[in-house]
Amino acid sequence: MKFAIALFSAPHAPSSRRALRFAQAALAGGHEIVRLFFYQEGVHSASSNVVTPQDELDISGEWRDFVREQRLDGVVCIAAALRRGVLNAEESQRYDRPAANLDDPWALSGLGQLHEAAQVADRLVCFGGP
Amino acid sequence: MRKSLLIISRQAPWSGPGAREALDIALAGGAFDLPIGMLFLDDGVFQLTAAQQPKTLQQKDLSANLQALPMFGVESLYASARSLQERGLAENPLTLAAEPLDDAALAALIDRYDQVITL
Amino acid sequence: MATLHVLSHSPFSDSRLSSCLRLLGANDGLLLSGDAVYALQPGSAQLRALEMMPDSIGLFALDEDLTARGISAAQRAQVVDYPGFVELSCRFDKVNSWL
Repeated sequence: MKFAIALFSAPHAPSSRRALRFAQAALAGGHEIVRLFFYQEGVHSASSNVVTPQDELDISGEWRDFVREQRLDGVVCIAAALRRGVLNAEESQRYDRPAANLDDPWALSGLGQLHEAAQVADRLVCFGGP
Repeated sequence: MRKSLLIISRQAPWSGPGAREALDIALAGGAFDLPIGMLFLDDGVFQLTAAQQPKTLQQKDLSANLQALPMFGVESLYASARSLQERGLAENPLTLAAEPLDDAALAALIDRYDQVITL
Repeated sequence: MATLHVLSHSPFSDSRLSSCLRLLGANDGLLLSGDAVYALQPGSAQLRALEMMPDSIGLFALDEDLTARGISAAQRAQVVDYPGFVELSCRFDKVNSWL
């Protein structure tokens, strides 16, 4: 089956980890993930500036590694991200901000990407809240 | 066949960007000519009440943005009759032509759509 | 088109479970994850409400969330792991997560 997975929560929310474990299980089960789309607080789960204490789980780091290794299409909603201070180099320059905190493998794009993924996928599965 | 998507909006209008971001999903879908429905459930029905003055909170007027739904082709608009009733809004005029549905009709509504996002 | 409803809020401090129970279709399923597994707490009104659901409605709970909280699943509930969660999302026609 083709899955579109949407995440609405920050990396410290249990639902961010749950989404990641679900996505990993989907691939392990032979399914396909057509796109990951991060919206609302989910944009923080893609931030490269999260520093987790060494003895704690680094979920945004795990997301980054997962998307890279599996060569997934990881899209972060640009409007939601700008509002929450998650910027890539291009946006941080455009808005004259001192730093960028979104990097490869993530792409900033619009809500159309969520709809397109939902159209292509057999299942849209959303994660968020606690 | 394009898949239909029902957005269930449960957030009160001034509790953060949640209600606006749910609306944005609906408007974006409408802009792509997708079959989108929107259901106001639980505190989401507070988005539909008249005489809101968000300027006092220095917020943009969500009610005005909700009016854009039909213009974006999103005309399947519903509200939970129970949520309205529970909040004393059953007899009040709503700012959007959302059809009140009872619980059984809501279950049938959700059943009809290909995909659902509840925010 | 049967729906798998997914909950993750505690039913003791949040209205999602009660809203969801009122909108369930006859062949829908309910998956409890995160704090929503507290709905299986023995002796609670929430568990009684779940046990009153028709048999046609599947009740599922995520194993790691039960174990982490020291809750044993009631007989009515079927315990699933992540591969089981993925399988459920394929078995049902759509997934509605109550975010």
